[in-house]
Amino acid sequence: MRKLSLCLLLFLAACGSNGQKGPEPAIEAVSVWPVPVGVVTLNKAESAVVSPRLDLGIIVFDPGIPKDASTHSKLGVFPKIRDVEAQYLPVVLRDALVASNNWGVVRVVPKNDETLGLRVTAKIIHSDGEDLVLHVRAIDAGGLVWLDRSYHDRTNPGDFPALAGGAPAQISDDPFADLYRQIANDLGLIKTQFSVAELANIRNVGLLRYATNLSPEAFSGFLFRESDGAYELRRLPAADDPMMRRVQRIRNQEYLFIDTVDEQYVDLYETMAPTYYLWRQYGRERAIFKADYELRAANRESYGRRGSYIAMERTYNTFKNSKIQDQDLQELAGGFNNEVAPTVMEVSGRVFRLSGALNAQYTEWREILRSIFSLETTGKKTPLLD
Amino acid sequence: MTSRNFRFYRVVLTVVLSWLLPVCVSSSSFAAKPAPWVADNSARADFSGFWELNLGKSDNIQARLDILVRELMERARRQAKGRQDRGGGMTIGGAGPNSAPSIIGLAKMADLITASQLLEIIQKENDILVKRENSFALTCEFYKGAPQFQESVFGAETCGWDSHQLLFRMFLPDGLTIQHILSLGSAGYRLNIATTVYSDKVSYPFTLNRVYTRYEPDRGGIRCEMTLTRGNVCTTEAR
Repeated sequence: MRKLSLCLLLFLAACGSNGQKGPEPAIEAVSVWPVPVGVVTLNKAESAVVSPRLDLGIIVFDPGIPKDASTHSKLGVFPKIRDVEAQYLPVVLRDALVASNNWGVVRVVPKNDETLGLRVTAKIIHSDGEDLVLHVRAIDAGGLVWLDRSYHDRTNPGDFPALAGGAPAQISDDPFADLYRQIANDLGLIKTQFSVAELANIRNVGLLRYATNLSPEAFSGFLFRESDGAYELRRLPAADDPMMRRVQRIRNQEYLFIDTVDEQYVDLYETMAPTYYLWRQYGRERAIFKADYELRAANRESYGRRGSYIAMERTYNTFKNSKIQDQDLQELAGGFNNEVAPTVMEVSGRVFRLSGALNAQYTEWREILRSIFSLETTGKKTPLLD
Repeated sequence: MTSRNFRFYRVVLTVVLSWLLPVCVSSSSFAAKPAPWVADNSARADFSGFWELNLGKSDNIQARLDILVRELMERARRQAKGRQDRGGGMTIGGAGPNSAPSIIGLAKMADLITASQLLEIIQKENDILVKRENSFALTCEFYKGAPQFQESVFGAETCGWDSHQLLFRMFLPDGLTIQHILSLGSAGYRLNIATTVYSDKVSYPFTLNRVYTRYEPDRGGIRCEMTLTRGNVCTTEAR
């Protein structure tokens, strides 16, 4: 069964390296975009999955901002907008995954957590009103790579209907919804290749990896780490193991924190949706106008004698108009930042969570939970609990 | 110069030039081009602020045109003499390279390009934005000190520092090249923009200096901010 799964994984991601085990390689920039996904219908499971539940965590996206700031304008990358998109787009993917009925709890998580049943990471390769390109990886708790490929969606005029509220009423009406549906369909298809026992095994490996992080001396013997970095389950603790119950309780408290954080991402999404929708709509219209203008300008016959004022004026005005077009986009980006930046800060300020500080908060929370666990099992108090 | 004066001057100049300027030299042999330039970041100036055109300190376009005409006539005279010495004759005409319409065209282009009355310059460590009233902004990034180069179907651009001066060059189709050199004077209170227009149909470029002086815009206690969903949003500033 496992071999069959691997065959399917390889088939699904011809451009990726699915089925590969081991440490996660850094996602490289994709220079050639894949073919757009087209119109995609979400494949939904008949009913919400009850057992076995495989929880899925979507890690906040890598914004994909080139380190060399001198390339940003040439590549059309607006760093502030990318930073916000990295927190906004996972919510749309989460919505598609939840709607597919294939998963247990689907959360947006601020930081990579290898103990999650299945974790999805993504890097934004390109994002504007016309095209969205993401490189997506999905890896289970055992280290098996389910998905490692790029997705591309291109909008058409129908994706940007004039909306009374300024933005789609439902997340599923996102202009790039087809892309998220395709990711959800691919993950759902891969999941069908795993038996109930295999899915339960992934969950158990995740839980034991979490337990090992809390108490390596108590739990490391349950797992075997292979040379390629993958984890195999050797045996399971007894169902009524008191240490394991404590681990479960601590983990539930961690999930409680993540769920609170997750609500903040949804708040952010709802607050910025109208502005972001407009930004992408304007961007698309502008790109289409510019392409059309360039075509007309390139095909235009020369006007007036070369060197005459009328010819020079026309040449200059064509150049001037193209520059104004380019600079309009910069203005729009400024307008976007002026509206969204305070929101992000406000959300961050409310819980001290949503931007960079959230990672630190999450790490600190995990440390506190670890200290509680240590206190309960060894009686040793750590400075964090003082 | 008023447009009526300019029209009159143009008529007179056309007559004079059409009789005096030789047109026997092919344009390719003397086409004017900007001099090569090596980027130098050693002494960057700070142009930040609001600037308004000071017409009194700026070049008079008529005077600049006079100078150009004198230079071309002198050149023509020397070439004609050389040809006579070799037994050749002087060709007289009103079209082609160095023709009156081309020279006047250069002057009009310089006038058109430098028409902005107000500037707002936002300069940061690695880039500069020169917003020009009723025109596109001049922008330049100088992250690595090397000149920035951009190209599109409408033309190519380069920009960068030349010691304390900031230089912009635009190479447009049909042999048209535009250069702006920004320099600061009078303890930072005066900005000079030397705009030079080159055409491969005229052997001499046409340069126009526009001088701007600093000013503080009267916002009337209003502060405006561009937004996507609500357009330009203005609020009263706390005093």
